[in-house]
Amino acid sequence: MNDAANTERWIHRLNTVQLVLAGIIIMAPTVWMVLSSFKPSFEVTAYPPTLVFTPTLENYAELTRTTPFLSYALNSLIVTVGSTALGLLFGIPAAFAVSWTRITWPAILTLAARMAPGTLFLLPWYVMFRQIGMIGSYTALILSHAVITLPIVIWVLLPSFDVIPRSVFEAAQVDGCSFTRILWRIAMPLVASGVAVSAILAFVFSWNYFLFALVLSNGDTKTLIAAAFNFIGEGSTQWGALMAAATLIALPPLVLAALVQRWLVSGLTLGAVKG
Amino acid sequence: MSDSAATLTQDRQKLEMAALSAPAVIFTVAMIAFPVVYTIWLGFQTFSSTGKQSFAGLANYSKLISDYEFWHGLWITIALFVLSLVLQLVFGVWLALVLFHAKRLPGIVRSLFISPFMMPPVVAGMMWLVILDPSLGAANYILQSFGLPPSDWLASPSLVIPTVALIDSWQWTPYVALIVLGGLQSLPTSVYEAAQIDGASAFKTFQRITLPLLLPTIVTAAILRSVDLLRFFDIIYITTQGGPGNASNTLNIYGFRVGFEFFNIGYASALMLTLTAIVFGAVLAFNRLRGAVAW
Repeated sequence: MNDAANTERWIHRLNTVQLVLAGIIIMAPTVWMVLSSFKPSFEVTAYPPTLVFTPTLENYAELTRTTPFLSYALNSLIVTVGSTALGLLFGIPAAFAVSWTRITWPAILTLAARMAPGTLFLLPWYVMFRQIGMIGSYTALILSHAVITLPIVIWVLLPSFDVIPRSVFEAAQVDGCSFTRILWRIAMPLVASGVAVSAILAFVFSWNYFLFALVLSNGDTKTLIAAAFNFIGEGSTQWGALMAAATLIALPPLVLAALVQRWLVSGLTLGAVKG
Repeated sequence: MSDSAATLTQDRQKLEMAALSAPAVIFTVAMIAFPVVYTIWLGFQTFSSTGKQSFAGLANYSKLISDYEFWHGLWITIALFVLSLVLQLVFGVWLALVLFHAKRLPGIVRSLFISPFMMPPVVAGMMWLVILDPSLGAANYILQSFGLPPSDWLASPSLVIPTVALIDSWQWTPYVALIVLGGLQSLPTSVYEAAQIDGASAFKTFQRITLPLLLPTIVTAAILRSVDLLRFFDIIYITTQGGPGNASNTLNIYGFRVGFEFFNIGYASALMLTLTAIVFGAVLAFNRLRGAVAW
């Protein structure tokens, strides 16, 4: 009996060791990035690398001085907020209709679009947007990023709508309410948390998306992610500024994801796994 | 009388429902379906240096068959896909088991575990570019302090694909782990009690009970990762742009460069349609597999 308890304790310890090991591997690169961003320039490229140093903000100052970092950030914000809003505007009613009617092809259509490689659409978009002079416009960027946000909104919201009992709506139907009214007045308050999670996930994946802005933006509308490429080009010796840029770009999605981490798994698998 | 009134309401309801999904459907048709049809058409065109286009029949596709870079890109894509998927599934299942036995996970720990795949792949590429620098990077310092030879990582033609697979696996293994963890938590506990009574060893229990029951979840994770892995782009474009030479020129990178660096839109369309067919083929194959391992 005592033996079994002993074995149990050892298994538990072994598991904790593995957990800590995994945690270190997962965290170390990010910690290194953040540390490097606060290092004085002569220490960023020091070899052997240093762990103890006097933290400085010079890399961040350098970044805002030598690049239009803030206007890139503003572009990212405009495109991300715009595409998330568009995704919600189109996605919420669609998710409600799919959940109610069980006609699933609109949801599957948006998902199939999400599975194809982005370059497949980028080629015709480029040709078409160029013809109507929309390359470099916020509109083109927001429309292209809404292709990312729409399926996220629909598939994250579907389970939320599915669990609302029909009887909740039937009373309103008898009273002659239209579906549009039922959706906004009755269903929306019930799925509010689902809407929040879908909005945050849509925001994160739109913010993180690289390919479209690489081609569809111009010098004035370039997003942070698309500009990251320039930071690398300029800064092979300026690791400090590069790591400062990387840290700032990663900050919004990481903060938002931490807010909804509890609901993330079911959302990220588009409902394939209940979290 | 009341019958026709009911039909009328039903018709009105159908119309209203159609109106609710119409914006999403119209948007998707305009942004995706129509452009894809246009891409198919572009795949049959050639564009001369002056931008004049003409019908080329299957010329782009026959070019593809004799194009060394296409077959090389296909090989690179498949190698990267297999290597990354195996790494992420093996370590993902391991990490899920570790997390499962840890019982309670504070929210902050969960946040840290999801942080790699919530950050932009572009940022992951930037940080690993610095860490894996051949002469000044921290990775080589750690190798050397253990008495191991330094590596060229992303700068080595033979190591660039394994290195990119490592970076992607660092980012997405926790994601696979969280999916598998969800599967573990939903397994019926009764089968484990039976195994315990029979005195089965921990390894036997895992091999005979946990793994088979977990297979559908693992295949789901494989589908979700495959879609991203077969069209691998961000990390490679940020770190190597397909290099050194063409050592990491995946199909997606190659197609992008043919289209937007060499502006051969017709041939790029043929390349991307082929890649799309590969992605959907893989998804369908995995879906079959999921049906086969369902319980």
